Amino acid sequence: MKFAYYISCINEGMTKELDIALNLLKKDLGIELARMEEATCCGGSNLEFVHPDVAVVNNARNIALAEKMGLDMVTTCNTCLLGLLEAKHKLDHDEALKAKVNRYLKSHKLEYKGTSKVTHLLWVLNEDYGLDKLKSKVKKPLTGLKIAPFYGCHILRPSHLFGQRDNPYAPRSLDLVIEALGGERIEYESKTKCCGFHTMLVAPEESLKVAGKALVDAVDNDADYIVTPCPLCHTALDSNQADAMKVMGSSASVPVIHLSQLIGLALGYSPQQLGMNKHVVTSRSA
Amino acid sequence: MEDRKQITFNVLCFNPEVDEKAYFKSYDVVLEKGITVLRALNYIKDHVDQTLTHRFFCQAGICGSCAIRINGVSKLACTTQVWDELETCKTKDQIIVEPLNNFKVIRDLVVDIDPMIAKLKKYKSWVVPMVKDEDLGKKECDVKPEEFEPINAATDCILCASCYSECTITEADRHYISPLVILRAYRMNMDTRDTAGEERTRLLQEDHGIWDCTHCYRCVEACVKNIPIMEAIQGVRHETFERGMTNTAGARHAKIFLDDVKGGGRLKEATLPLRTLGPIGMIGMIPFALKMGAKGRVPPIFPHKVSTHREVKTLVEQVEKESKKKD
Amino acid sequence: MTYDIVIVGAGGGGMYAALEAIRRNPALKIAVISKVYPTRSHTSAAQGGVNAALANKHKDDTIDLHIFDTIKGSDYLGDQDSITYLCEQAPILIRELENLGAPFSRLEDGSIAQRPFGGASRHRCCYCADKTGHTVLQTLFEQCMRYGIQFFNEYYLLSIEENDGKCQGVIALNLRDSKIHKFEANSVILATGGYAKMYWHKSSNAAGLTGDGGAAALRAGIPLKDMEFVQFHPTGLRKSGLLVTEGARGEGGYLINNKGERFMSKYAPEKMELGPRDLVSRSIEIEIREGLGFESTAGQFIKLDLTHLGAELIMQRLPQIRELCIYFEGVDPILEPIPVRPTAHYSMGGIDVNTSCETNIEGIYAVGEGACVSVHGANRLGGNSLLDILVFGKRAGMEVVERASKSGQPKISDSQVEDQQKYIDGLFGKTHHERYDVIREELGTTLGENAGIYRTKDALTKGVADVYELRERFKKVKVADHSRLFNTNLMQVMELGSMLDLALCVAKGALAREESRGSHSRIDFPTRDDKNWHKHSIFKMTAEGDIAVSDKPVTMGKHELQERTY
Repeated sequence: MKFAYYISCINEGMTKELDIALNLLKKDLGIELARMEEATCCGGSNLEFVHPDVAVVNNARNIALAEKMGLDMVTTCNTCLLGLLEAKHKLDHDEALKAKVNRYLKSHKLEYKGTSKVTHLLWVLNEDYGLDKLKSKVKKPLTGLKIAPFYGCHILRPSHLFGQRDNPYAPRSLDLVIEALGGERIEYESKTKCCGFHTMLVAPEESLKVAGKALVDAVDNDADYIVTPCPLCHTALDSNQADAMKVMGSSASVPVIHLSQLIGLALGYSPQQLGMNKHVVTSRSA
Repeated sequence: MEDRKQITFNVLCFNPEVDEKAYFKSYDVVLEKGITVLRALNYIKDHVDQTLTHRFFCQAGICGSCAIRINGVSKLACTTQVWDELETCKTKDQIIVEPLNNFKVIRDLVVDIDPMIAKLKKYKSWVVPMVKDEDLGKKECDVKPEEFEPINAATDCILCASCYSECTITEADRHYISPLVILRAYRMNMDTRDTAGEERTRLLQEDHGIWDCTHCYRCVEACVKNIPIMEAIQGVRHETFERGMTNTAGARHAKIFLDDVKGGGRLKEATLPLRTLGPIGMIGMIPFALKMGAKGRVPPIFPHKVSTHREVKTLVEQVEKESKKKD
Repeated sequence: MTYDIVIVGAGGGGMYAALEAIRRNPALKIAVISKVYPTRSHTSAAQGGVNAALANKHKDDTIDLHIFDTIKGSDYLGDQDSITYLCEQAPILIRELENLGAPFSRLEDGSIAQRPFGGASRHRCCYCADKTGHTVLQTLFEQCMRYGIQFFNEYYLLSIEENDGKCQGVIALNLRDSKIHKFEANSVILATGGYAKMYWHKSSNAAGLTGDGGAAALRAGIPLKDMEFVQFHPTGLRKSGLLVTEGARGEGGYLINNKGERFMSKYAPEKMELGPRDLVSRSIEIEIREGLGFESTAGQFIKLDLTHLGAELIMQRLPQIRELCIYFEGVDPILEPIPVRPTAHYSMGGIDVNTSCETNIEGIYAVGEGACVSVHGANRLGGNSLLDILVFGKRAGMEVVERASKSGQPKISDSQVEDQQKYIDGLFGKTHHERYDVIREELGTTLGENAGIYRTKDALTKGVADVYELRERFKKVKVADHSRLFNTNLMQVMELGSMLDLALCVAKGALAREESRGSHSRIDFPTRDDKNWHKHSIFKMTAEGDIAVSDKPVTMGKHELQERTY
């Protein structure tokens, strides 16, 4: 099983540990990831405001790079997924746009054809790899651990972009991974809510409230960990956690981990090996 | 044979005259397949509990009165089939009915939507016509069918407030403009007969305005008319650039993504706060930077440039040039 | 509080009046009170369109043709001076509304598109896809916000107050806290909407189209007119009564009986499905009575077939109708025909006013479906109801501005307010036991059976007796909810009171009128009788609360009486 691996910018900086963990477990799982070093930033759900045309061309180019490699494209970031899929959706439903975009790409010896699937690590586990197979790889089941799945927005909404994968109000894919790894999944209201990442700089107070509400909800439901498939959600929920909790009048804490780290734990790696010591919040307190 | 079964409606009730806080009342009713949640609520009101308080009017999905939360999701009671809701019940055959979020409850399922109306006024949610007042009614404006394409979906909005109820930022900031008001602003701005685009856009980009949206797409998901509200939000944000209103944290932040794609290909995260907030605004970010630094999670000030960064730059510039030509 | 102008009702008519008044004199103090928020008003439900002889599509259309079509459509009961005014103003109103932002659909040349509509001899109906009323209502609300119109939302009209034949204002109940407020004003415009909800489950109307304005007018000594004329829309959905707009037939839909025949060929061989509403409704009723309908647990019906139009046209031009069919009937019109049957839809009758929207009380005006000018006569043409509210909403706005400058200080006394308080307190009577929902249901049933599409002396006699009996029972109706906060139980009971009063007018008027004209179809008097019945019916409330029926002449003009065939 081989994918073109689209590296989100944040995984080269603030959430390096996501990739550290992913690098460890891809061998165990037998998933090959060809790093797309030539790919550019997805536009961060922002580029389209500045220049809608550039936004489409940029991601058409990114997908075309994967097509050139003859591989489906996988990302570990929800917002990258959204940006890529938004472009793909437009291109696949508008021949004129596709032709226009390809005129630009042609001079760079690229062509967007629509042949490569764009997917996310979470979907790969559910659809391509298979949860039974994942289960069979588990060395140290997460027995007794209460884990709150935090999906993040851009893997659920707008749901029309994501096919019939998850009900945006009652998703299952991450819950199923938790179960496959032997953990106990927590049902809580904030599971499909927003982390506030995209307003961290522009509307910091609101962002803290948004993150704080989800965090308190997880703590109130006795979560040992929050797990998220998105490094942006991770950043919003981990790096500002104390402030976010304070806004909600709470002094509790709950570690937030990446999907790759959750799998790593079940495969028997230590938190240290998985880079979990790099998180701002490393332990739970009520 | 008609499909009939007993269904429990757990309705969040609250009468501030007598109740200290909201509580769930349960109503068990036998219903047949094919009826809507509104009809079920009306049945309960007529036959079981005359104090149950909810709004409804047209019963045809066009007036927007009966939006409530059904099994946790804001939608119109009159267009929602009971049998469809049975599939999302947490407890079998128990439907949870609650008032909309982000509004003050007047009683039971009735909320005070005046703040929403006030925001429509604040952001000038009306066309300021190009036709002078004294010339009104004299002749039609010349509008080609394609000119209305951008606003066709937006004019479907019935102000039911489902998006308002679902909005992440409205929940965090009651003064936030809210999705439907942005949608209306977009509808007006894109109307070729309107003359207030400049003034409206200036209002939109101020505090509590369009830049506070966190792109969570909850509004899009909830819209009972399937209006792509995010396209409107993207549209008005784009318009701030077209009108040169770039002196906001939001605009500066967005612009960085273009600059960085062009100048190396990858996002330069380390300097993102500085470039978004400016040197003074940055002061607030220092604790965050220290925390991250302590954990060794400092993004590189100069991330790797993609090997083909020169080509990317040419490509982006080509697109920019072409789009300009078009205007 | 004292105002220059009080407008009751915030649908298209009320808001156009407010807009016209404030634009003419920004210094005026105007209050618009409405039992629902403005954009909830029933104007939003008008899907199809609004008529104006713009001649954009058919270059040979003229105002005269529009006038003639409307007179003929009214079965010569419409007043020709009013109809002339309506049609002359139509192009101006459409352009004005368009200029103010209504997103009318366009022709390729950039002008307002027009489509065919029932009873119209040319393509005259302007539209915004199938959301015309909705966009008109939104546009008017937007412009009212722009001009700073003051709205009192969720206030229920209790009474119209006059003194010595002069308007003093209105008294209304704030639904939020059940407090009674007086709105003193020399000029009041009643824009309170129609009364066809009295047919209850056999009605396409919004829950609140209960004729509150008409009932309050009766109590204030203002007569109603032509109340027996209730239009049945041919194509209501079988289960909910909700309307499938005439636009669906305008775009080429077929009406099919159980033999698969396009049966309209028997009744209107030339116009086929695009015959006027009364004719199409009666044709469907005949088919069903003759056993040519389809059977279902929800009653008999015929089918409206759009499948031959193709998915693309349906998605593009009739998207909301498709949604409606899927949500409320579980039928996708792209795939299968829609089950339909006639449903009470529009009330031609209403508060008796002249072309200037004036009632018999100085300073009290009425517009829209709640009023009867009369421009619709015995039968309204599709696309003329939105036109009616726009044209006469504007006219009333003009009239009140004229009046505002020359009238004195209005006064509503404390005892008048107390009377209303007593009425409300009385409704909470402890020994009351009659159920409002039962009375309401029985009212709908008796009206549907005895004063529906086909009427006879026997049935109507029973209908009148039933309504009298229900009015008696209503005196003991129970308001079970005693809270002062947003008491919708109280409001529904008050609305039922309005419906009962107006139902008596409808049934008595229908019994009295021994002819068939427009929507009023007597099996025992199957033809139009111009000699005896070419006149308006007038309804007044007696001191005892009974309804007395009289008549008044129709205003004729250059169009002589003719037989009405299509």
